[in-house]
Amino acid sequence: MAGSSAVLEDGSTLSRLDRGIYRIERFLGVISGLSVLALMLLAVVSVSGRNFFNAPLPGYVDWIQIAMPLIAFLGISFAQRDGTHIRMDIVIGRLKGRALWTAELLTTLATLLLIALLIWGSWAHFGRSFDWNAPNFSRDSTIDIGLPLWPAKLLVPVAFSVMALRLTLQLWGYVVAIVKGGDEPIAVPLMKSAAELAAEEAEHVSALDR
Amino acid sequence: EEWNVSVWGKRRAFTEHVEKLAELVSEKTNGEFTMNISYGGLSKNTENLDGISIGAFEMAQFCAGYHEDKNPTITVLELPFLGVRNLEEEVAVSHMIYDHPAVQEDLARWNAKLLMTSPMPQYNLVGTGDPRSTVESFDGMRVRATGGLGEAFKAVGGVPTSVPSNEAYNAMEANVVDTVAFAQHAHLSFRTIDQAKWWTANLNPGTVNCPIVVNIDAYEGLSDDHREALDSSVDESIQYYLDNYQSNVLTKWDEILAEKGVTKVEFSDEELQKFRDATKGIADKWIEEKSAQGIPAQELYDMVVAKLNELHGM
Amino acid sequence: MSSIEIGLWVSGGLLVLVVLGMRVAFAAGAAGLAGLIWIFWEKKDYAWDQLGWALGVAVKTAGQVPHSKIASQELSLIPVFILIGYMAYYAGLTTALFDAAKKWLGWLPGGMAVSTVFATAGFSAVSGASVATSAVFARIAIPEMLKLGYDKRFAAGVVAAGGTLASLIPPSAILVIYAIIVEQDVGKLLLAGFIPGVFSAVVYGGIIVGLALLRPSLGPSVGGFSWGERIKSLLPAFPIFFVVFIIISFIYNPFGGDPLGTPTEGGALGAALIFVMALVKGMKWSELKDALLETAKLATMIFTIIWGVLIYVRFLGFANLPRAFSEWIQGLDQSPMMTLVMILLAYAVLGMFMDAIGMLLLTLPVVYPAVMALNGGDLVSAADSTFGMSGPMCAVWFGILVVKMAEFCLITPPIGLNCFVVAGVRPEVSVQDVFRGVTPFFVADALTIAGLVAFPGIVLWLPSLV
Ligand code: NA
Ligand code: NA
Repeated sequence: MAGSSAVLEDGSTLSRLDRGIYRIERFLGVISGLSVLALMLLAVVSVSGRNFFNAPLPGYVDWIQIAMPLIAFLGISFAQRDGTHIRMDIVIGRLKGRALWTAELLTTLATLLLIALLIWGSWAHFGRSFDWNAPNFSRDSTIDIGLPLWPAKLLVPVAFSVMALRLTLQLWGYVVAIVKGGDEPIAVPLMKSAAELAAEEAEHVSALDR
Repeated sequence: EEWNVSVWGKRRAFTEHVEKLAELVSEKTNGEFTMNISYGGLSKNTENLDGISIGAFEMAQFCAGYHEDKNPTITVLELPFLGVRNLEEEVAVSHMIYDHPAVQEDLARWNAKLLMTSPMPQYNLVGTGDPRSTVESFDGMRVRATGGLGEAFKAVGGVPTSVPSNEAYNAMEANVVDTVAFAQHAHLSFRTIDQAKWWTANLNPGTVNCPIVVNIDAYEGLSDDHREALDSSVDESIQYYLDNYQSNVLTKWDEILAEKGVTKVEFSDEELQKFRDATKGIADKWIEEKSAQGIPAQELYDMVVAKLNELHGM
Repeated sequence: MSSIEIGLWVSGGLLVLVVLGMRVAFAAGAAGLAGLIWIFWEKKDYAWDQLGWALGVAVKTAGQVPHSKIASQELSLIPVFILIGYMAYYAGLTTALFDAAKKWLGWLPGGMAVSTVFATAGFSAVSGASVATSAVFARIAIPEMLKLGYDKRFAAGVVAAGGTLASLIPPSAILVIYAIIVEQDVGKLLLAGFIPGVFSAVVYGGIIVGLALLRPSLGPSVGGFSWGERIKSLLPAFPIFFVVFIIISFIYNPFGGDPLGTPTEGGALGAALIFVMALVKGMKWSELKDALLETAKLATMIFTIIWGVLIYVRFLGFANLPRAFSEWIQGLDQSPMMTLVMILLAYAVLGMFMDAIGMLLLTLPVVYPAVMALNGGDLVSAADSTFGMSGPMCAVWFGILVVKMAEFCLITPPIGLNCFVVAGVRPEVSVQDVFRGVTPFFVADALTIAGLVAFPGIVLWLPSLV
């Protein structure tokens, strides 16, 4: 199920923050999912408009261009929290305890660095499309009906900022894990073996009967 | 010294002046100043101006109509029914507009300097079904035409429809659109000609304007010799482009029309005038909107009209 | 240092990051960004006061990629295809299909297993993901087979293998991803997967019948259904055929007329239909929300890896590596067909350790241009080509081969994800059981791939009609 992640919780500040941000992330995830639904309805309107009323939806492609970032970026931190972003764990899967948390700390740090730089880069990308003095503040627009592109471009640094927050929290979690040792760190995605992943998939499928 | 040049697609008639420019510059500087032309490897075509502004590459091609808000001044050259008759005239009006200080200022926001144009022929229609040779017959016609051209067809009752250019062939086959407006080389490469029953030989509704720009810092950073080599190669490159387009696209186009039995639709002067009258409002609206942004829009528009009148001996 | 050397170093660094367990999307993005910084700094001869400039240009270049690459119409197919699969569960289409397949094909030797394969093939027509397909059928098909006395390992193997059909038979998320990376027509590729998918299903069916004839203890046939029962069983499964019909006719009209629209619209329309069915079947808001959240999460994962890898690809563009690699491949002193086979084998090895999507995204930017060059270029005509097919057709053919390889990797040890999923769903079956049971299907897949290589017509006939 959507909520079934292998993230342990307790009463610590770290865990409370984790759950707090998770609520925001889930909310953004729902918006992302609703955008998929909207995309679907948009196509229905476009097809029926064209075939039954000889009135194609003006700027169908333009609207898709605006909707796609909603789907693609809003959920990035949600997926990071639940450990959905794929990776190859054949080597790291053999590590345990502090060695494992140290490795996780390093790759998470590299990821945070990347995301921080991309916030800068995507903000600059937004900045080039935005102009306080232009009509609709727009300095870049879609090809067909000229929708301003800046809101969609702004979404990227915003979503990445939530992601940076999440990564910072995970770094904190790994530091705590290294200090404490053991196999049960708080607020970080636990590595799931393929078998555990499968069990989760199974639970999801079974839940459909209820 | 090596410059990176960002263009897109495949090497084709539309990029031959860039290839020629690279060749000439390298020759003139004995290989000291070279250009690495990348077809889509460095940027997406709608973001070439962004790349120039960032400084990621030194030279790039783009089309004004892709993003009107990035380059409001140049879109004067994309207004419908300016009356451009051939590629030579397209070069003449484009380069005149590129020289205007307001236009240079517009592009300087992207740290870009206009070097030369990539002259495109008029975007005439290919269509399925019975040929349409009157303005009335455009009523209800679904047409793949973007930007200002879409507006023009809308003004006479056409229904502009969004289709990416690589889906244009399927869209015609699927009756998603009845007609597609492209330059000849695009009708050939996107195979819309294979669906066509007719082609509007003299409608000449307008075209897109696709300049080649260079990064201002990189340009100013060139040694005098290298800059001289670059500047002095522009005219020859354009001439090469024109010759190549004529012999490899336009001649071939006529052959293919004959071979496939595509009807050449000729519009009478009265019909063309009707179309022009119906779309006159688009230029007015453009002038009004751009003037409000502080652009000398009326002046730019009048310059284009005057230049074309001069070229037509009027 | 030449830019190609930089390209190789950075690619090596990427490999290290991936092996260290960094998420593939971010490893690719980080390697790409580091590479861009390197390339731009190298341009300034590594002058210290130019490092800041290089960093700025690299970051801004990379920062464009996520938005600019994701805001595309063709990519919008991916979330829609994922959503269709989730909605299909709620619409009750899976059991309906299995029931129909049983009544029509159960009489064959090993009939239930054959039915399972064809039911998964049918479900593949609404599901874009292999693993989900295996999970669903592990639940509904394995218990029925065990009840009838089927060999446990055999039953599990059938389901694991059957799931792989979902990525060939349209809709297929992975084929859309391939089409986007190599910039080819999505509709053509989706269409091209259809016959190889059915062909794979037939080969699977043939292997099952053969095995059941040799060793009847593997599983009996189930007969005794009247024609009335058979016809009636089709009714609940009918919506699947309708949806398939819609999706296909938005790409290619089987009656020779005009297709009805674009693939994007067809996919969305199919999803909308199944969505309405699920609503009629009484799907609750909480269930819809879960389906939407799962769709969002999966789509985001795929999009993230796409833009991450595209940052790396942008760097490769500046480093000119794809061109260098394709020149190297063309210069090899062996037959082009041999080179192609070796590339496919390399995918088989790589696939043992990597996820299919990650593997394709990371390798295609370099491998694909090389294969196209091997054939004679993007626009070569069939007559002048090496493999006897035009450039665009070669792109389609190689796409299907590569996706079939990626699917093959889903059932091979040590990380055959489908096998783990089946074992996870059925507590009575161990992972070893599934890997044992799926072995005959390696043979089937090897035969299928050999067939697709030797007779490209299987792949290319349908798309060539468009
Ligand atoms: Na499928
Ligand atoms: Na595997």
